[in-house]
Amino acid sequence: MTSRLPDRHDAVITGLGVTAAVGQGKKEFASALFEGRHAFAPLRRPGRSAPTADPEAPFLGAELSELPVPEGVRARTLRTASLSAHAAVLTLDEAWREAGLDDADPARIGLVVGGSNVQQRELTRLHARHADQPAYLRPTYGLTFMDTDLCGICTERFPIRGFAHTLGGASASGLLAVLQAVWAVRSGQVDVCVALGALMDLSYWECQAFSAMGAMGSHRFADDPGAACRPFDRQRDGFLFGEACGAVVVEREGARRHPEPYARVLGLATAVDGNRDPDPSLAGEISVIEGALAEAGLPAGDVEYVNPHGTGSLIGDETELRALRESGLGDARINATKSITGHGLSAAGAVEVVATLLQMRERRLHPTRNLVDPVDPSFRWVRQAALPFPFETALSLSMGFGGLSSAICLGKWR
Amino acid sequence: MSHQEVFDLVVKHTREVVPELDGHTFEATDSLRELGANSMDRADIIMMTLEALSVSTPLAELAGANNIGELAKLIHDKSTA
Repeated sequence: MTSRLPDRHDAVITGLGVTAAVGQGKKEFASALFEGRHAFAPLRRPGRSAPTADPEAPFLGAELSELPVPEGVRARTLRTASLSAHAAVLTLDEAWREAGLDDADPARIGLVVGGSNVQQRELTRLHARHADQPAYLRPTYGLTFMDTDLCGICTERFPIRGFAHTLGGASASGLLAVLQAVWAVRSGQVDVCVALGALMDLSYWECQAFSAMGAMGSHRFADDPGAACRPFDRQRDGFLFGEACGAVVVEREGARRHPEPYARVLGLATAVDGNRDPDPSLAGEISVIEGALAEAGLPAGDVEYVNPHGTGSLIGDETELRALRESGLGDARINATKSITGHGLSAAGAVEVVATLLQMRERRLHPTRNLVDPVDPSFRWVRQAALPFPFETALSLSMGFGGLSSAICLGKWR
Repeated sequence: MSHQEVFDLVVKHTREVVPELDGHTFEATDSLRELGANSMDRADIIMMTLEALSVSTPLAELAGANNIGELAKLIHDKSTA
């Protein structure tokens, strides 16, 4: 049998880390995915409900259980680390170990943290605490309010000396960080680049706005949190928030002795639609799908699995299915990771690359929760139960407010 | 608030900011810097102590302290001014 995979691309993925409400670490996360477990409930983290909120009508979503302290991270660091920063260093720790990066040259390692304005809940709480006494605001706030504090904490713990910065792209941030990491490796800027999809820590202000603009559900399923998150189902009424963080180690194949990769990066694409609004763009989505496939040198019919953006948005889900259909991807297997994890916003794209590669290695696809009445039943959905499905090619999509679309095409390493 | 009570507050907040010092026996001659508190740690320790005492003063006016005893004295002087 001849390979369907082109061999001219040399960026490979050698390490993954994930922290999600359904599971911390790849093992627990994968078992939650394949079993279709969920962690949706009323959001209870301090700062996520307005002081005047109706306790009978909480926002729904999925929150992390208590995070362990990663080895080598000092208690004094965690005192002033936000939840986003703690999740970042913990998730990086898992990916770092798997890729064996202690053996890599620190000067040849980069870090891209996907996300902007990720620490909103912690900032809201600090502002409230000091509203009447700003003179006592802790001086460290001058460091920690910036998202780049995540870079500082991660590079203080791990010897990353090539470069480190954040990259904001709304809900496409996590995948854009992966794309940037691939470009950094391909260009020769570094040999290894870790892409992190940062935990977007929403405060009640953002929950309120997302809910008011109709992006965040679920009023319809307020009494049944397990049924509330339903991407691609006709009963969907918006996304449900899910705290998460994902880490993806990208490196140039053979630049050092690295573990056997999960996959090769075959193709990438990103586009802007010239649209400041939250509306999805069919043309933008088609353009990134076609761009990623063209770079991969793959005909659409050879893509075996699609990991879609699929948030549960009324118009977004329909537009994405049209884009997939019109791009010739209507025959690929498809599920919706966010039906299990919720929408991690800045984290989502990185978490979904992790989910795609765990499924690729496990040779099966996870179910899609609550997909009772699909918007388009002609797609090859994985619905109630995990499906054994060995596959070698996958496409993952991430979109963001402000007209952002991005896609990555991955091929199993062998 | 006595000088000793201000000293105890500085020690309390130093332990909070630098948990590694939990078992340390603090002396007036201890330098925060030499105990491993960096400039941001020291600024937070001082701000937490000022807040506990409801004292408002620019941190620069406390910069001359060479050790915890001198720092506690400067803060005590501000609190009684």
